Amino acid sequence: MSHYLKLVHMEIHRFRYPLAAMMGLTLVWQMVTLIIHVNGKLDRAADALIHNLLVNGAALERFSFADMIPGMLYSLPILACIAALSVYVFLIWYRDWYGRVSFIYRLLMLPASRKHVYLAKLTAIVLLVLGMLSFQLLLLPVEQWVFKLIVPAEHFEASTFGDVVSANLVLDVLLPRNFDRFALSYLLGIAAVIVIFTAILLERSYRLAGILYAVGYASICTFVFLYTMYLMWTGSYLYPEEIIAIEFAIGILITAVSIWLGFRLLKKKITV
Amino acid sequence: MIEVVNLRKSYRRRNVLNGVSFTAEKGQITCLIGINGAGKSTVLRAIMGLTQVNSGTVHIDGRPMSRELYEKVSFIPDRLTMPLGMKMEEAMQFMADFYRSWNPARAKELIQFFQLNGNEKIGHLSKGTAAKFNLAIGLAQDSEYVLMDEPFSGIDMFSREQIADVFSSDLLDGRGVLLTTHEIAEMEHLIDKAVIMNNGTISREFDCEQIRSDEGKSIVDVMREVYLA
Repeated sequence: MSHYLKLVHMEIHRFRYPLAAMMGLTLVWQMVTLIIHVNGKLDRAADALIHNLLVNGAALERFSFADMIPGMLYSLPILACIAALSVYVFLIWYRDWYGRVSFIYRLLMLPASRKHVYLAKLTAIVLLVLGMLSFQLLLLPVEQWVFKLIVPAEHFEASTFGDVVSANLVLDVLLPRNFDRFALSYLLGIAAVIVIFTAILLERSYRLAGILYAVGYASICTFVFLYTMYLMWTGSYLYPEEIIAIEFAIGILITAVSIWLGFRLLKKKITV
Repeated sequence: MIEVVNLRKSYRRRNVLNGVSFTAEKGQITCLIGINGAGKSTVLRAIMGLTQVNSGTVHIDGRPMSRELYEKVSFIPDRLTMPLGMKMEEAMQFMADFYRSWNPARAKELIQFFQLNGNEKIGHLSKGTAAKFNLAIGLAQDSEYVLMDEPFSGIDMFSREQIADVFSSDLLDGRGVLLTTHEIAEMEHLIDKAVIMNNGTISREFDCEQIRSDEGKSIVDVMREVYLA
């Protein structure tokens, strides 16, 4: 197995407990929220049924799984996991410098290219994000099955996977059903992580002055990307496809420069 | 031979290294001596490519430091370099996975020598045990040179004795050792060559046996001359 793959395995292995905790939290929270929500809905439906039968003999209320998940309460663990993984983008580097142990000594003294250390950390972040996303995707059918179990047939209404995803704003953003949008969103996310990695390495290489370099670098990258997007969407005669293509090219350029700078800092400038 | 030539490094407008040059031979124990802040640890880190210098060169057997040479030179810093969540056995497996020069038989021998329990988590180790484990990790490589930064720092008397035993054992036979330490009295009889650092420069570099026989001086005597002059 190559050094890179061993490092990826090591990085994922080090995060196994927080990852399991995040998955556990998401599972328990969403199940409990769903069950409480469904029970509340059934109670209200029973009350309504009695009232309606007495007043005008109306039909039973039916509801689907998609009706049960739009609330922010259901999305809370997803948002918490996003926050945790965002913090981990920084921690994945800083924990190797600070504390009782300086693992960065060992990582930088491996008889392998230091690029592998960078790429392994990046790959670990991407895999953790995709892992959490996959877990959420697996969780939805399980929750739907639980929903079917606890809702009496006379109240049950089927919903498609598309209905379920579009019913919740957070899921709708995280799981775009158009592949282009999915690829663009996640590639932009990876580019952002790469820019942050380079900013961290600037800070680790130049310390106090490095904080200024890091903030400056991240700000310039963000400004270049957002400002050109703003200019093109507001004042150009380009077709949307052309604008997206140009944005994609700018994103690739920023990513390429960031990766090159990150590798160079790790090889030439980094200080433990 | 480790050859350090004219290393210069400044940090926050202070010259940490101000033209440091010396050599450390294979088969000898070379001790880098200096008071706190003299720049000893910075020199070791610079040799290992863990900190950047403004100028100067480091050559190991005539070759500039490169990633391949991490198989040939092992560094034992004054702190743990393995994640706290790992067990000692897992840390050794990590080393075996990455280093061709890792010698599992010697690793086992070292674990027995230091009476360590491989199933113990690194995060649970006391300072003395951690220092011994650090040493075991560094010495289990079939490296030609071993760099040690303050191997006796802050550990109890019995652990120090055990670590000092390493220097008179066959674990270091034929290797070049470059170490920094404050415990000169304890190590004096084991050191072949002393390099005294002061204010980021090399004040004296001498063969310990020769200075004992020619001038009747111990390392501590020479240190007094340098620092109290």
